[in-house]
Amino acid sequence: MNFSLTMSPSDLLLLLPEILLTSWLCLILIIDFSFPRLPNEQLAYLSIAGLVATLGCLAWFDITGITGTLFANMFVLDRMALFFKMFIVGSTILVILASIDYIHRFKFFRGEYYFLIVMSALGMMFMASANDLLSVFVTLEFSTFGFYVLVAYLREDMASNEAGIKFFILGVFAAGLLAYGISLVYGETGKLVFSDMKAAQATPGLAIGFLLIFGALGFKIGAVPFHSWIPDTYHGSPTPVTAFLSIAPKGAAFAILLRMFFVALATFKPIWVLLLVAASILSMTYGNIVAIAQKNMKRLLAYSGIAQIGNVLIGLAAGTKMGSDAILFYLLTYLFANLGAFAIIIAVSEAIGSEEIDDYSGLGRRSPFLAFSMLIFLLSLAGVPPLAGFIGKLYIFVAAMKEGLYALITVGLINIVISMYYYLIVVKKMYISEPHDPSPLKVSGPIKMVVYVCLAGTLAIGIYPQPFTDWVVSAILMFSNLAVPTASLPVPPAVTPFGG
Amino acid sequence: MGDYALLYILFAPFVGAIALIFVSNRQAMLVRGIAAGSAFVCLLASLYLFYAYDHVKGGFQFVQRFEWSRQLGISLHLGVDGIGTPLVLASGILLFAGIFVSWHIKDRTKEFYIWLLILAAATIGVFMSLDLFFLYFFYEMSVIPMYLLLGMWGSHTKKYNEMTDPEGLKQRDSVGFIFNFGSNSKEYAAMKLVLFLSAFAVAALMGILLIYKYSGLNTFDILVLREQARLMNIPVLGTTLDKIIWLLIFFGFASIAPLWPLHSWSPVGHAAAPAATSMLHAGVLMKLGHFSIIRVAFEILPETTRELMPIAAVLCMFSIVYGGFVAFYAKDTKYVIGYSSSSHMGYVFLGMAALDYISLTGAVMYMFAHAMATGMLFAMAGWVYDQTHTRDIPSLGGLSNRMPFISGCFVVGCMASIGVPGTVNFIAEVMIIVGSWNKYPFQVIVAVVGIVLTLAYLFKMMRGLFYGPMDQKYSHAHDAVAVVDRLPLLIMITVSIGFFFFPMHLYNVVRSGVDPLIAKITRVVPIADSGAGFGLMTEATGPAGTHDAQLLANNPVPPTSHTSREPQ
Repeated sequence: MNFSLTMSPSDLLLLLPEILLTSWLCLILIIDFSFPRLPNEQLAYLSIAGLVATLGCLAWFDITGITGTLFANMFVLDRMALFFKMFIVGSTILVILASIDYIHRFKFFRGEYYFLIVMSALGMMFMASANDLLSVFVTLEFSTFGFYVLVAYLREDMASNEAGIKFFILGVFAAGLLAYGISLVYGETGKLVFSDMKAAQATPGLAIGFLLIFGALGFKIGAVPFHSWIPDTYHGSPTPVTAFLSIAPKGAAFAILLRMFFVALATFKPIWVLLLVAASILSMTYGNIVAIAQKNMKRLLAYSGIAQIGNVLIGLAAGTKMGSDAILFYLLTYLFANLGAFAIIIAVSEAIGSEEIDDYSGLGRRSPFLAFSMLIFLLSLAGVPPLAGFIGKLYIFVAAMKEGLYALITVGLINIVISMYYYLIVVKKMYISEPHDPSPLKVSGPIKMVVYVCLAGTLAIGIYPQPFTDWVVSAILMFSNLAVPTASLPVPPAVTPFGG
Repeated sequence: MGDYALLYILFAPFVGAIALIFVSNRQAMLVRGIAAGSAFVCLLASLYLFYAYDHVKGGFQFVQRFEWSRQLGISLHLGVDGIGTPLVLASGILLFAGIFVSWHIKDRTKEFYIWLLILAAATIGVFMSLDLFFLYFFYEMSVIPMYLLLGMWGSHTKKYNEMTDPEGLKQRDSVGFIFNFGSNSKEYAAMKLVLFLSAFAVAALMGILLIYKYSGLNTFDILVLREQARLMNIPVLGTTLDKIIWLLIFFGFASIAPLWPLHSWSPVGHAAAPAATSMLHAGVLMKLGHFSIIRVAFEILPETTRELMPIAAVLCMFSIVYGGFVAFYAKDTKYVIGYSSSSHMGYVFLGMAALDYISLTGAVMYMFAHAMATGMLFAMAGWVYDQTHTRDIPSLGGLSNRMPFISGCFVVGCMASIGVPGTVNFIAEVMIIVGSWNKYPFQVIVAVVGIVLTLAYLFKMMRGLFYGPMDQKYSHAHDAVAVVDRLPLLIMITVSIGFFFFPMHLYNVVRSGVDPLIAKITRVVPIADSGAGFGLMTEATGPAGTHDAQLLANNPVPPTSHTSREPQ
């Protein structure tokens, strides 16, 4: 293995988005220190400007098709990485916009808040490009590092501190799992780059190693049985951080999961399909059933998030090109619906100071805009046409159906109905229950903007998904020659025109 | 217009709903005007569609096809055949009438009309979808507006109000309260409706996905699937795949129809819903079930349909009798009409189960006729409720003095619902009964008993509402005098009676959709229909039945049935 670090300018070009964001990160920090009296909004808009520039750069790469690998395949910039980077940067922009009104709750270190968010985004951008077990470890820890601080940002709040401790201890534990898994895999195969492992022999050590790595990534995406940190952390964290935590790391972790399962472990598909089917069924069922009992909006979305991740795992279990398309597409729909719902939670909690579902009573009368948007986002999460979530779910189910995962699809379909119940409970509170206090709510500009963007995304993807499906399909063309054993289809016998 | 008629019908309500978003709730007349305008466009276009449909040519007409998703093989493929056309017309009429029936809604008028228009548009979308994906898309889309319409503008039952009254305190502590309280509220009704229908809808979706996979064609297009899908003879779980798919599709869609064991959401939902919603719900939403079964199961799995349709023939008896008896004993006007609807839907299942040219034509015509009849009844029950604020039949009475117009219309509505000659229901009922007699004589006897039951409970309700002594507290109740209040009832009465006297176009249109279907399923060429009209109908069925049997016995596998279906 050649670890020489000779770089040409054209190699540097591949790192341009990351370099851009890193320098911007330093700029944010310097400006924050140099002008302590600068209003927070300025810093927020400054961060957004940097992120938009990065997004533009990524879009330019995507359109002109600039791709390549760096550092002896440790860093890969293909169209899938570009998709996930845009996903992460886009969600970061929305999260920062949604934070502007929330920031006054932090007594100290308001400037560093933006720094930490952008830093986590940077870590996740590297995660999307990680093509090697070492870079997986480094980038994963890099991105989680910012979150450890962000989760506990409400220093006076016990719940936030508890969330931070819980997240930290379990996160470090997951990091330990990851490191141990990597060492086992390296010991068994002598390889670190995913694409070099294709020829690996199935040994117990390799199996345990990958199981441990899957555990660490499962912690990141919050799949059962690695979900236990999710509810408390989501509940205790500052809401914008919860929103960020519920979207961006999942996208980045799925980038790694896709590379790991579809490239490194492609030959072992019959084995890992069982693992993923089990994780998916458990996540969907557990998340949806426990969500029914929730009284707090953030906890509800935490459990519904666990269930949504179960849905995404169906696509991974399908293990085909179409399955990976469906994952990307589903994450896109999830981004808009989930971020939109969290933006409304922020708006409502700014106005009435509560995140309890009961306090959403009569929201339809107090703020028709918020209630209607929330309705759209929740129904999209539930998977009701004509919203994005429905197409996402259908895409995933079709991909799994082609592989013949009937049990998984049946469980998934039943879970749609279960999830409809608790989403509709919120709808009932908003529209049917009478308000405790009928005064209208005020919604600030930035939050409105986030909600508009998310509404537009949810409706556009739901009504005409063709451009989006085209995008995701072209984003993972690299899997199109994926060597997957075809599922054992019973070949229909030649049928006489009318049976017999 | 012309070729784009379907797009006008489908998108007029959507455009109206979107336009309403930008109107303030304070401009009530403007809100109503926009809603009525878009419904009027929809109605005009569906009238045009109905009369421009060429029944000689038959098949799917006004076809529109837009690529929607290449990866999944979905296209927005719209088109109507003889079965969809009258149902689209019925939806158009009921939407237009429903706008006027809910003219006096004061609370959040704008939102009400938005959801009503979306509900109607989604329903219409199902009737014209030629793509399995969009069929399901519109089907599921029609369920969610029901939740909001029931929850926001619906009403609790009498029992619920009693229990929450200050005087009902004693009841509130009773065990009965704990078990009964929730089930009498509108929230319960709305949630039950949505979860019940969604649960069965996903069963149908499973069936659709199985068709998609095993056809191997990578398309959801019904027209392609019905020609090319080969789903027979694949052994699964001790039976064959086609049977599993058929059962998933049948019971998935039969839940909204509603077939007997799956009916329990329906009366509760009807009772809680506001009048216009009940009209659309009983008038067209329930027909989505029959229609989807015809469109998916009959078209794509004709062989399996012939084998398994007796299931419907058995269950429809329970539907008819059970619904009839509960309606007889129910004390709530909307429960009576709701159960009568689910009882009458049993006739449609009987007509479908017999798989006969006449009976299926009758079934489709009955769907149309029932939409008008039940629409009228719900509209008037809604009017009575608005005036008296109760739906409790024993506490009402003698209202004909206060509202002569309504009580007059109610008689017509009851006649239509019973199927008295003079209304199109009669024609449809007779066709179902005559058409199914050969195959299911016992069920036909049950159906006739059902008609007697209908007579009994509707007359009982009519007497309870409009005749006898009147409670003085209802002396303020007044009649429908304004044009907007009378218009919807008059429209529905005109349609119901008009099609009795001029049924031939309706019959021809429906028949042109039924003929190829039954020919494909039963592999029997229809008996020559000289087109001389109804006189021939009964004459033709007798021989047709025996003829069918002989044909089947002698010639079980005719080589190409599609081509031999043209009536000679």
